[in-house]
Amino acid sequence: MSLLEVSGLTVGVEHSPHALLRDVDFTVEAGQIMGLVGESGSGKTMSALAIMDLLPAGIERRAGTVRLDGRDLVAQDRETVDRNANDMTMIFQHPRSALNPTMRVGRQIGRALEINQDMGRAAARSRATEMLNHVGIPGADRVARAYPHQLSGGMCQRVMIAMALACRPRVLIADEPTTALDVTIQAQIFDLINDLVEETGCGVLFITHDLGAIAEMCDRVTVLYGGQVMETGDVRQVFTDSRHPYTQFLFDAVVREADPSVEEKDVNFALQGCRFGHRCPYAFDACAEFPLLREVDTGHLTSCFLHQKENALGSA
Amino acid sequence: MALLEVRDLHKSFGHGRTLTPAVRGVDLEVDRGETLGLVGESGCGKTTLGRVVVGLQEPSSGAIYFDGELLDGKMSRPEYRRRVQMVFQHPAQSLNRRMRVDTTLAEPLRLLKVAPRDEVAGRIDEVMRLVGMGPDYLKRRPGQLSGGQQQRIAIARALMPGPDLVVLDEPTSSLDQSVRGRIIALLRSIQEEQDVAYVFISHDLSTVRRIADRVAVMYLGRIVEIAPTEQVFKDPQHPYTKALLSAVPSMDLDNRGSRIILAGETPSPSDVPVGCSFQDRCPLVHERCGLEEPRLVSLGDGRKVECFAVTDPN
Ligand SMILES: Nc1ncnc2c1ncn2[C@@H]1O[C@H](COP(=O)(O)OP(=O)(O)OP(=O)(O)O)[C@@H](O)[C@H]1O
Ligand SMILES: Nc1ncnc2c1ncn2[C@@H]1O[C@H](COP(=O)(O)OP(=O)(O)OP(=O)(O)O)[C@@H](O)[C@H]1O
Ligand code: SF4
Ligand code: SF4
Ligand SMILES: [Mg+2]
Ligand SMILES: [Mg+2]
Repeated sequence: MSLLEVSGLTVGVEHSPHALLRDVDFTVEAGQIMGLVGESGSGKTMSALAIMDLLPAGIERRAGTVRLDGRDLVAQDRETVDRNANDMTMIFQHPRSALNPTMRVGRQIGRALEINQDMGRAAARSRATEMLNHVGIPGADRVARAYPHQLSGGMCQRVMIAMALACRPRVLIADEPTTALDVTIQAQIFDLINDLVEETGCGVLFITHDLGAIAEMCDRVTVLYGGQVMETGDVRQVFTDSRHPYTQFLFDAVVREADPSVEEKDVNFALQGCRFGHRCPYAFDACAEFPLLREVDTGHLTSCFLHQKENALGSA
Repeated sequence: MALLEVRDLHKSFGHGRTLTPAVRGVDLEVDRGETLGLVGESGCGKTTLGRVVVGLQEPSSGAIYFDGELLDGKMSRPEYRRRVQMVFQHPAQSLNRRMRVDTTLAEPLRLLKVAPRDEVAGRIDEVMRLVGMGPDYLKRRPGQLSGGQQQRIAIARALMPGPDLVVLDEPTSSLDQSVRGRIIALLRSIQEEQDVAYVFISHDLSTVRRIADRVAVMYLGRIVEIAPTEQVFKDPQHPYTKALLSAVPSMDLDNRGSRIILAGETPSPSDVPVGCSFQDRCPLVHERCGLEEPRLVSLGDGRKVECFAVTDPN
């Protein structure tokens, strides 16, 4: 059984027929890091918020389950959900808006510790300062007494990281955790996340658009486009033997200089079939249906009719 | 004459025990139509420098000349506000939460009266096309956009009034490769058309390499190296620049973890050591570094470096 299992997750805007996430499936194993990669607007943050049961107003979950050790975490009926404070924590994409602007940051971390780790106030306070040190913030004492607006963008991001790591969750969701950090500190944060996984055996959902960070950090990776999982598998499988036209396109984008004269198409959430259909060079009739994930190799799944066609031809 | 000239600029926050000198004596010039990349450790003062330059914060001391004119108290003039724009690190700071995208984009044109009313809609469509977002987004509010979409609207908004200088604070860090490519192309084409200069603050070194003409590397409130872009990347001089460049993650699966992690910790800005501020972490540290402060010295080929080991080896 997987530590975290997301299946059939479908999310949409209220009163609109279109889905922002459709039939999203992936798992996070204990002691492993699962990368979630995809271009801007592909639904990475939305997936994370749905897992945390923190979808913004106006967005509804239409189907799907989220299970932690087999326990249902989001159910239609909220009463039946038993969610513990330290089951999951999330590092938000925009830390400054996630932090409380009116509370000193040391106190905010301390509060999280009091609630999640059942610590006393004094112990929580010194642990908070210690955590700020760990995430490479110089002068942690000064910073603990500062309000978020007195800190740089990267410092706020590290405050969030410190808070999340201090809670020692079973599952850590990190949404673009290092966008505001320089590469040396990014490397340090990556090490801290790896240490946490090693020490506590937690699972991590690591959201990023940086394929280099995926290569460096993750065991497995899920590629998202237009709210559809395109491919999921071992990092090595997906990087060196990618089976999905979109994944190939994504890798090409790394080397391709975007040519502004080419009209790049936006995600089309209205499509009934494959979300990549309007950009895919291989699209054919079958793609008007929605492609479900199918295994192409052990633990390596793609949602593309192309392989299903090839397989059908091959076996015929 | 440079478009922007900054002389011995200092900016501190707080006082007494909490005194934080965020910018400690910065000199730089930016020419018309030029892109200066500004990189450096988190918390080293990049945003603060940017905010002081665009007039959002008063410097503690030092001088800023814009187009040859000393700026003192003139910063709030509408003319300066049109000519100098900033895209904030955190898109929520650039965007009004309650304002729809179309109003957000029209607002600077309306306030600064730079375009006739009937041209506004056309310019909005054009800029939306350039940032790669369809017209469906025009009626949304920031809360209904993804992080990267918010950032693109913030960039579009800054470019609307036809500024001479734009300070872009981490404009592409929340964007994926293909959108990043579009934004770079957009910035470049506007630069060619309108001769606008950019100060491009970023941790994303590969993007800086693609867009900047020159790069300034900051450490603890000072510029420690400034040089033409290719020279910085191919032949970095300052020990901090070298460490910074070595830490970029690569997609090479067989080369995981080959990055160098700098020893020691960055000193707190409220507790800077005597001498060179990089001494505690520097592999080339020697006696003089703890006694004297190195100063930015020109190497004579457009490069300037602030390190005894480089500028004064014996
Ligand atoms: N409240 C909302 N109403 C309607 N659409 C929304 C709302 N919030 C987000 N969206 C749309 O949902 C899609 C997915 O957004 P999400 O924030 O998950 O993207 P993301 O993959 O995290 O992108 P980024 O890398 O830019 O942060 C986007 O196209 C966005 O415009
Ligand atoms: N309003 C403020 N009050 C007190 N200190 C501040 C304030 N704004 C910034 N600082 C301090 O100034 C220093 C530099 O911050 P700045 O935001 O300029 O860094 P930065 O280089 O932009 O970092 P990052 O890459 O993390 O965004 C930090 O130590 C920060 O805590
Ligand atoms: S299902 Fe069809 S449209 Fe989608 S990626 Fe495969 S071939 Fe292309
Ligand atoms: S001046 Fe000395 S301590 Fe500073 S960077 Fe140069 S060698 Fe290192
Ligand atoms: Mg996001
Ligand atoms: Mg900053």
